[in-house]
Amino acid sequence: MTLEGYLTLSLMLFCIGVFAVLSQRNLIAVLIGVELMMNAASLNVMAFNRFSVTDPTTGQIFVLIIIGLAAAEVAIFLSIIVNLYRTRRTIDAEQLTELQG
Amino acid sequence: MDTLNLILATTFAPFAAFVLAILFLMRQPRLAQVVVIAGGTLSLGGAVSLLSAGPVEPLRFLWFTSGDIQLRFGFLLDGLSLMFGVAVALITLCVMVYSLGYMGHDPSKTRYFAMLALFEWAMLSFVYAVDLMQTFIFWELVGLASFFLIGFWYEKPSATAAAKKAFLMTRVGDVGLFIGVLMVLQVAGHFDVPGLLATEGGLVAQATPAVLTTITLLIFVGIVGKSAQFPLHTWLPDAMEGPTPVSALLHSATMVAAGVYLMARLHPLFMGSETTLGIILIVASMTALLAATMAMVATDIKRVLAYSSISQLGFMLLGLAAGSLFAGVFHLITHALFKALLFLCSGLFIHHLETNDMAQIGRGGGRRMRFATAGLVVGGAALAGIPPLGGFFSKEEIFAALGHDGVILFSVVALLAAFLTAYYTFRMIFLVTRPQQVEEVDVHGDHDRAEPLSMALPVMLLTVGAAVAGFWGGDIARGLGIEAGHHSLAAMAPALAVVALGVLVAWLDFGRQSATRTGFIARMPALEKLFTNGWYIDAFYDAIIVRITMLAATILHAAESRLLDANFDRLGFGVLGLGSGTRRLQNGWVQFYGGWAVVLVGLAAAYFGMSD
Repeated sequence: MTLEGYLTLSLMLFCIGVFAVLSQRNLIAVLIGVELMMNAASLNVMAFNRFSVTDPTTGQIFVLIIIGLAAAEVAIFLSIIVNLYRTRRTIDAEQLTELQG
Repeated sequence: MDTLNLILATTFAPFAAFVLAILFLMRQPRLAQVVVIAGGTLSLGGAVSLLSAGPVEPLRFLWFTSGDIQLRFGFLLDGLSLMFGVAVALITLCVMVYSLGYMGHDPSKTRYFAMLALFEWAMLSFVYAVDLMQTFIFWELVGLASFFLIGFWYEKPSATAAAKKAFLMTRVGDVGLFIGVLMVLQVAGHFDVPGLLATEGGLVAQATPAVLTTITLLIFVGIVGKSAQFPLHTWLPDAMEGPTPVSALLHSATMVAAGVYLMARLHPLFMGSETTLGIILIVASMTALLAATMAMVATDIKRVLAYSSISQLGFMLLGLAAGSLFAGVFHLITHALFKALLFLCSGLFIHHLETNDMAQIGRGGGRRMRFATAGLVVGGAALAGIPPLGGFFSKEEIFAALGHDGVILFSVVALLAAFLTAYYTFRMIFLVTRPQQVEEVDVHGDHDRAEPLSMALPVMLLTVGAAVAGFWGGDIARGLGIEAGHHSLAAMAPALAVVALGVLVAWLDFGRQSATRTGFIARMPALEKLFTNGWYIDAFYDAIIVRITMLAATILHAAESRLLDANFDRLGFGVLGLGSGTRRLQNGWVQFYGGWAVVLVGLAAAYFGMSD
């Protein structure tokens, strides 16, 4: 498989993620979209690491940190969603617009 | 006490009384009256002891320096200022005491007394001023106090209108005065009055004749405004809307005399310009005659006295312009006494009978008020120029000066005005004291309280003053450093004759039992109408000047609101609209923000990708 193949796959994953973030009203679906975008980015990093960098550990360290961060972020995101549901009885992104100007 | 402390006490005692009354004593009117009268008494004491000590060197204190110009504050204590200072302090104190009775029932009398004190401070500081700029500052403060006092009953629209009119019309004159004062500075480089008047190195020597004429004419414009001369005289009759003691103090005896005093103060400058003197003679004689004609048809006792004040101020200026400082100052002082007296008497009538109409005062039994009637007769006789009362001698001096001057026309006009003066004065006296029948209308129900002591005392004092003031001529002349001449009976004859004629005509018209109680002027309806309407001068102002001003104001207001205001509004509303439009972008919907972020980043990426 060539670099282009990986990059195309990564782009597709990223676009799916963006679509999910922008189109889904359910905050959990939005979270899934965000995760997809992150993984697309990780895949991108790994593809470049495989094809154009001499020392393979560089990209692996990047990606491992991204995965670790994603785990932490999910924990925070989910707790926010749970709290939102408790107080507002909804996790619909279109209804949570209290910060409007 | 030394002179400095004495003069400081004289001028600042009323100021201290004013500050105390207006700041701390609004709710204690009794205490405020005591404080103000104490201040007035202190001033009078100071002024009298200064006068008895005699003239001294001027006191000067540097106020500030700007470039080469030094502005000084100080006191000029010569014969003129010392004598007029005593007259001002005396009449102010009389009016203050009189006001205890007259304003006794007014709810805001603290304000009234405070304003009297403010006036006295401004007027005395003006009289004693050594620096022309100081003179101007206190001249304006006198005008301010006058504005407050005319408009004292501010609930009355006519009173506020009169106050506004007085303020604006004197302002017209003050613009001229201010330009004149600045021109003095430009020519002489200083404001020091004794320096300007000095025969060597004074303004007369420094300025070219044309410049001197301009300066004196501009100062005369200020005098015309303040001393209510033609054509700016129309504010004074309206100023009678103020309380009567105020009319007695400001609008007859002292404040309007400030213009005459200024001319006397700067007399050497005026004497340096023949043109100016000629113009002053014309204006003053016109004023004396015009105002006298208006006085002979007025029915309101205060208006008669107001027109008479205008006319007498014209006489004073005539005397000064004819070259006799003594004549002007002498008449200034005698007039201050008898005119204050006449106003205070009219106040007694008005206070007790609650009418300003002379015929009604007569019918209401005015002549039973002994002090008021005695004061009216003595003051009126002094005003008419009956020997040996105050006005006779001082008016005689003016006629002598006019006769000396040579232009026969002014003498004739002055004699005519003197005839009318005697006529309208005795018309007033006869209307009040010889009514055809007396109705018993006792408003207050108790004749003993008609003339309370506080009001009767100043009237008595001024009655004596007006009666004897004519004999002070020698002292006043000595105070001014002039030798008073003695006039032969032949020189006095024309004036005596016109006065006698005026009294006789008034007797025929108003005095005798079978009199018609209408003036001889009623046989000439056109003239009567002209006089009653004040020669249509006010109507002219209303029709032309007021209308033009209002039109200009309307146009400017429209321009202001349509051009400036509207455009500023448009700017403001535009920014507001922009803001509320932009505000809609922040709708709190996260995905909306995200979408825009993607679109914009995509566009940026496309742009930078293509530019590679």
